[in-house]
Amino acid sequence: MELLLSNLSLGFSVALSLTNLWYCFIGVLLGTLIGVLPGIGPLATIAMLLPVTFTLSPTSALIMLAGIYYGAQYGGSTTAILVNLPGETSSAITMLDGYQMARQGRAGPALGIAAIASFIAGSAATLLIAVAAPPLAEVALKFGPAEYFSLMVLGLVGAVVLAHGSVVKAVAMVLLGLLLGLIGTDVNSGVARFTFGVPELSDGLGFVAIAMGTFGFAEIILNLEQGEHREVFTAKVGKLLPSMDDFIYCVPSIIRATCLGSFLGILPGGGALLGSFSAYAVEKKLTKDREKFGKGNIRGVAGPEAGNNAAAQTSFIPMLTLGIPSNAIMAMMIGAMMIQGIAPGPQVMTQKPDLFWGMIASMWVGNLMLVILNLPLIGMWIKLLTVPYRLLYPAILLFCTVGVYSVQNSAFDSILTALFGLFGYICVKTESEPAPMLLGYILGPLMEENLRRAMLLSRGDPTVFFQRPISAVMLTLAILLLIVIALPFLRKKREEVFVEGET
Amino acid sequence: MQIKNGKDFWAGIMYIGFGLAFVLVARNYSMGSALRMGPAYFPTWLGGLLTLLGVIIVARSFKSHLEHTWRLFEFRNKLFFASVVIGGLAYWGQAHLNGISPWFAQAVNGLAIALFFGAFGKRSLSWILLVTVLFGYLLKPLGIVITTIILVFGAALAGHEFKFREILFLSIGLAIFCAAAFVYGLGLPFPVWPELRG
Repeated sequence: MELLLSNLSLGFSVALSLTNLWYCFIGVLLGTLIGVLPGIGPLATIAMLLPVTFTLSPTSALIMLAGIYYGAQYGGSTTAILVNLPGETSSAITMLDGYQMARQGRAGPALGIAAIASFIAGSAATLLIAVAAPPLAEVALKFGPAEYFSLMVLGLVGAVVLAHGSVVKAVAMVLLGLLLGLIGTDVNSGVARFTFGVPELSDGLGFVAIAMGTFGFAEIILNLEQGEHREVFTAKVGKLLPSMDDFIYCVPSIIRATCLGSFLGILPGGGALLGSFSAYAVEKKLTKDREKFGKGNIRGVAGPEAGNNAAAQTSFIPMLTLGIPSNAIMAMMIGAMMIQGIAPGPQVMTQKPDLFWGMIASMWVGNLMLVILNLPLIGMWIKLLTVPYRLLYPAILLFCTVGVYSVQNSAFDSILTALFGLFGYICVKTESEPAPMLLGYILGPLMEENLRRAMLLSRGDPTVFFQRPISAVMLTLAILLLIVIALPFLRKKREEVFVEGET
Repeated sequence: MQIKNGKDFWAGIMYIGFGLAFVLVARNYSMGSALRMGPAYFPTWLGGLLTLLGVIIVARSFKSHLEHTWRLFEFRNKLFFASVVIGGLAYWGQAHLNGISPWFAQAVNGLAIALFFGAFGKRSLSWILLVTVLFGYLLKPLGIVITTIILVFGAALAGHEFKFREILFLSIGLAIFCAAAFVYGLGLPFPVWPELRG
């Protein structure tokens, strides 16, 4: 307990420094600004804003990125409530009841309860991270290469099982990501692999180019193809704070969703999406007047919002303690860390306590800022929603291209981004969810390295992965997950869950 | 035999293509053994697995309960083949021919890239991707102000409506903003105006 307090006070001293407060603020503001734009989810938002953080110190950069993440998520909910267009799948759920509330003239309370629920859930989840991270990191420090390799396999399988769409395609996407991650100079032999003599490739494919192309550019292109149909409720937002009755009615939902979301966020493959889907399902089951769900029940906003924020926060736990991303957004965070020269893993906590605890404390600060920032600024976001897309997208595109170019000041990254934009477009057209690719890309070199070391230590005996108990448990879990998901009964159930979420 | 699920079919083809490419290119590197893995070991396994999954996905597309046409988006064969041929020649030429002016080489590369992006999808896709590449090439010689104006106009052409005056004001505004924020504000090393020395 004392240790926790001293750690947290270290964290807050870092997070509350003027510079970091400023970057946290800018992150939350920019994140909301981009996240509010319809059709642009957190993944695309972070990808687009990633280059902005490169000039900062590692701590400030990560604080800002985390701020961008919550901002984008909250921005997405705002759009879902006001425009009936989710910025991303995890706010698709909020849309169901939020938009109905807006149509009934209760957009204000919907936006207000979304902010409050997110804040409560975020605070609880931040505390959970502070409590759970150190012991986990300690366990992870004892991991050898075999354990690490198995952990990565489990993480990737988990991500695949929980991704929506076809499992086989998701596994293929992971493999493709792993392969793309191997492009560049092989650390062991010094051989430049898959570079075709292009000098720019010897350091590997640019992370920013991949993320921005596949997620940012592809989204812009698809939005353009679809044209714009939107209907914004601008006039009747009304007062923002929900009434006391509304709030009391929502409290049990918020608590349930926070617990559920916090748990789901830690799982490999978990994250905001799973958090909001399951929270909504639980609320629908447990609330007495369930026929009101989908018709503007305020619990249908509070639950998923609390759930997705809690899960979004706790998914930082495996990222911070193990260096393993549980979803594509965490992969992005790890990518940002590596660009800043920090090797992700359990040693971050002991070697860079100010970064580790500063980031955790900043999560709470960021959540508070979101509430303070968004309640008065909501009018501005609504104005932004009325700007026609034909004027917005050239500006977004411009900032993206500048961002990509500025990473290495080379035209090569621009070409790469365009190629991955095409790739992202084809992925959407062939219904292959590209998010697992990013996980694979981040883990590719790490996996190869740990596989090599494990095999070297075991003198080439592949059974080592099953001889070491922790590794064996993790691999067995991974295999079980794959078998379970292949069972016809569960496959149907899984499809139902995702279909229910999408309609 | 008929392709029922075009989405699966093309996804599978894509995975097979990537998988085989990685396996084939990896043959240039040493395989090593399970004990001491060479640079080819891991990619060969991964590429092989990817190819296998691709084959499964393609096979599945013939007996799927979901029906999707195999034409998922516009694809222009002629442009695609032209880009492959020109790109291949350019790649070969840069390795084997000496004394080509770098301007000419860049232009040929650019043509191949333009044809390639032009081969896929609707107009919006080609335009967006083309101006992205163009931005990368033009920024150094032309400076950020002119490049921004070109990019905004190009991007606007990708949309459904194009209003000249509106885009003109937007592009000038953004150009001023970019110069102020990125070059003077953040200190990015971009030229603002064309460098006349060449």
